[in-house]
Amino acid sequence: MDKQLELLQGTLDMMILKAISLGPLHGYGILLRIQQISKDRLEIQQGSLYPALYRLEDQGWIGSAWGESDNKRKAKYYHLTAAGKRRLQSEAEKWNRMTEVIEGILRARPEEV
Amino acid sequence: MRLWKRAGAWFEATLGRARMECEMDAELRFHVEARVEDLVRRGLGREEARRQAHMEFGGVERAKEECRDARGVNFVEGVMQDLRHAFRTLRKSPGFTTVAVLTLALGIAINATMFSLVSAYLMRRPSAHQPERIMVVSSVNPGPVFQPDAYPVSAPNYLAWRAANHVFSEMTAADEYRTVTLTVQGQSTALRGAAVSANYFSLLGVSPEFGRTFSDGEDQAGRDHVAILSHELWVQRFGSDPMVVGRTVRLNRENYAVVGVMPSDFRLLGYTRDLWTPLTLGAEDQAAAARKDRSLRLFGRLKRGATIEEARAELTALGRRAEESFPDNEKGWGVSVRTLPDFLTYNFGIRTALAILMTAVGFVLLIACGNVAGLLLTRAAGRQRELAVRISLGASRLRIVRQMLTEGLVIALLGGAAGLLFAVWGVSLVRAGMTFNEEVSAVPVGLDWNVVLFALGVSVLSAGLCGFVPALKASRTNVNANLKDESRSASAGQSHSRVRKILVTTEIALALFLLVGTGLLIRGIYLLEHQTLGFQVDHLLTASVTLDSARYKDATRQIEFVREVIPHIESIPGVEDVAATSDLPASGPDSVSFSIRGQVEQPSSQPLSTLHGVVSIDYFRTAGIPVLKGRAFTEMDDSKAPKVVVVSQEFVHRHLRDQEPLGKQVRLQASGGTGEWSEIVGVVGDVRTYSEASRYDPEVYEPLLQQALSSFLLMVRTRRDPSSLASDLRNAVGQVDEELPLDRVMSMPAVIDKQKRGDALFVVMMGVFAALALTLAAIGIYALIAYSVGQRTREIGIRMALGAGRGDVLRIVLWEGLKMTGIGAVIGLLPALALPKIFEAVFFDLHLQEPPLYFFVPAVIFVVAMAATYIPAWRATRVDPMAALRYE
Repeated sequence: MDKQLELLQGTLDMMILKAISLGPLHGYGILLRIQQISKDRLEIQQGSLYPALYRLEDQGWIGSAWGESDNKRKAKYYHLTAAGKRRLQSEAEKWNRMTEVIEGILRARPEEV
Repeated sequence: MRLWKRAGAWFEATLGRARMECEMDAELRFHVEARVEDLVRRGLGREEARRQAHMEFGGVERAKEECRDARGVNFVEGVMQDLRHAFRTLRKSPGFTTVAVLTLALGIAINATMFSLVSAYLMRRPSAHQPERIMVVSSVNPGPVFQPDAYPVSAPNYLAWRAANHVFSEMTAADEYRTVTLTVQGQSTALRGAAVSANYFSLLGVSPEFGRTFSDGEDQAGRDHVAILSHELWVQRFGSDPMVVGRTVRLNRENYAVVGVMPSDFRLLGYTRDLWTPLTLGAEDQAAAARKDRSLRLFGRLKRGATIEEARAELTALGRRAEESFPDNEKGWGVSVRTLPDFLTYNFGIRTALAILMTAVGFVLLIACGNVAGLLLTRAAGRQRELAVRISLGASRLRIVRQMLTEGLVIALLGGAAGLLFAVWGVSLVRAGMTFNEEVSAVPVGLDWNVVLFALGVSVLSAGLCGFVPALKASRTNVNANLKDESRSASAGQSHSRVRKILVTTEIALALFLLVGTGLLIRGIYLLEHQTLGFQVDHLLTASVTLDSARYKDATRQIEFVREVIPHIESIPGVEDVAATSDLPASGPDSVSFSIRGQVEQPSSQPLSTLHGVVSIDYFRTAGIPVLKGRAFTEMDDSKAPKVVVVSQEFVHRHLRDQEPLGKQVRLQASGGTGEWSEIVGVVGDVRTYSEASRYDPEVYEPLLQQALSSFLLMVRTRRDPSSLASDLRNAVGQVDEELPLDRVMSMPAVIDKQKRGDALFVVMMGVFAALALTLAAIGIYALIAYSVGQRTREIGIRMALGAGRGDVLRIVLWEGLKMTGIGAVIGLLPALALPKIFEAVFFDLHLQEPPLYFFVPAVIFVVAMAATYIPAWRATRVDPMAALRYE
């Protein structure tokens, strides 16, 4: 296993939105989904996941409802709201543009400048 | 207070804060346990798995705290927190809370009390359908009368305007002041009736309690012997007889059929009539002579889409047409149009007084708010450290501001609630004083919803006023200075007390302005109360007589009655003189236009105008009006003799330019339209036009023997207490005509009291408000000086230790109070200089120039302020320098 990358500032929200855009998940499920998609290459502070969830809910991008987990226990499931979907889209676009720009800068060769 | 805690807990539970905590707990626990399960599945021991799961998760409590923060405290919760905090801090200082709440309660109570009058008299909608679409059309009297633009209209003008206008879908007329004699089993009483066109009730859109209103054609002669009773009359005189409709009643010696009863809530503002009969207008009402009889109130309902401006424009044009066609009678007269609600409140004549009272109580409230704001500021100064700590611990400044405002709000709402309770008492007190005439006492006054909402609004406003400055100051708390500086810094309170100084100065300015205003009004009303009226008021008994047309058909009969009744009254023991007159002296007689023989005619826009009275032979002697020149009327001045008049001194002065009046001839527009010249045979002393105003106007008197009256007043000069002769007077009149009732039998002083309407009450209320303002301002200055002396104990101690004497200290402190008082007095005095002008503009005939008041009032303020300052100043001189220095 490679050394885990530390999370870039402000990207946790985006990843949470992405994770639950694939289907409702409880908090622990979100953690597992992100780790699974990232192939364990990202390090997420478990404790910081929940404040982020509460903040996103407060802003109206995600909603929550209590349901039953796989092993028949009560768990709080989060889902994406319509506003959340739009938010995810715009965040993703912004991120893509940002990476393009940064990639371009990093690829720049002396003769191009 | 325990109740509050419970209520708070209930709120929290319902607001879901507790539930949120619970859910958060469950959610985090689920996370950790799910992780433990996963780790166990991967082969760790349960204990080890638990340890690792917790380690990975990090601090649970910290996460929770962050979650709470992330979720944000919602608004309602924040308000609840602020409220709880406010209650806690207020409870901790009960003295402060009591003073602040009571101060505001006082201010709000008098505001609510006064507003209950506004609500009752100005905001009540008349009982009519869409009253704002109903226009009241009045004449504009060019003469010097009270409310000249609410003068009634003559029948010819009504008929012409009804036919010619295009703005009203319908018009109706009412003669609202008709005395009607009701005879039941030989007993006659005078009722206040109104004669109205058949469509009067339908135009207003009101229905009877039972029976019906007038139907079309019942205002034609021959069909007009029908009557509608008021609810009160039906109850009082007909014993609530349910079969009253169809019964015959005897009115003015003729039989009328009762067709309906109006409900008790049918009244146009205060004025209720006892009964209504149809107003018949025949051919004689179109004649030129009828133009002088302006007694109709006109109502018109606007056509769909028509506006009041259009109505005004059209009626003004119609009025001008009448002026051109009938210059003899209409010269100078105009037309005014008002909506029904506007007309009623205007005609009631209470608007100005209420506006002034509301301004006064508004000032008192401002001063009260100033005091409470001062108290809050002092407290804020004492809480600097607390606030600094809270800010440094992360409380946002906005939150601090909100909290201070909440504290103000709690005080104000408590004050508002207490104020409303006081107002219940205040309203009943004011109500008890408002009995000076039937119109005023007929309007119910109470704490209705308008008043409650107003009190709430005023409370919130006061909260803003009281809490705003302290809140802003608190939010500017300098964290570092306050946390570092352990010692009591001398400058800490300085900016606070600067703001307080401004507050107190403003209070003094407000109090002074109010005091000058009140002083002017009291002085003005005092002068009116004590002015000489031009006749002898005491030992006069008066009564009004209305001769009905059934028995007294013509002038001869009417004159005969007067000739016959006067000797009967004169024979009552204790009676000195008796007279009959069209108007009681100083009761605002009608005015007429006239011309003087040999003088150039006046331009039509400004005809000569004079007050006009018709009096019997002994009138001047009975009233005690001196005959200055020539003679009074005699038995010889009858209808066969040449016409004569007597004029007042003011008439000679203004209209004859002080030339020899005797022998001059005048032609009055009122004397039957015959155009005869009348010779001036005498000059009498001036009588005030109104007992409640200071003006004298030219007046001309005609002899009753030459100008018959169908409605007049009897005046009896007595040797004894006049009211003791009332029943003798009734009997004497009864000997001449059994069926003729006397109305409004009262002594002249009582008549004058009634004319003054609520002047006395008004003065008392204004006096109370001004005294409150002064007291509150004094408390304000006292509190500030006391506080500042407390703050400066150390400074004073040092000064004294360095050799300052008690006198020096006293001077320093007194000077502080004197400065504020002086500045406040000047600020308040400047706008107060404009007050006489304002009062002259809004009050009918009130001329006030009272320079002494502008010295007297500031002097009072200075004395009171100095007294308020002296107490803390004296205490300052008692400071023991050693104790003061050691105090630290």
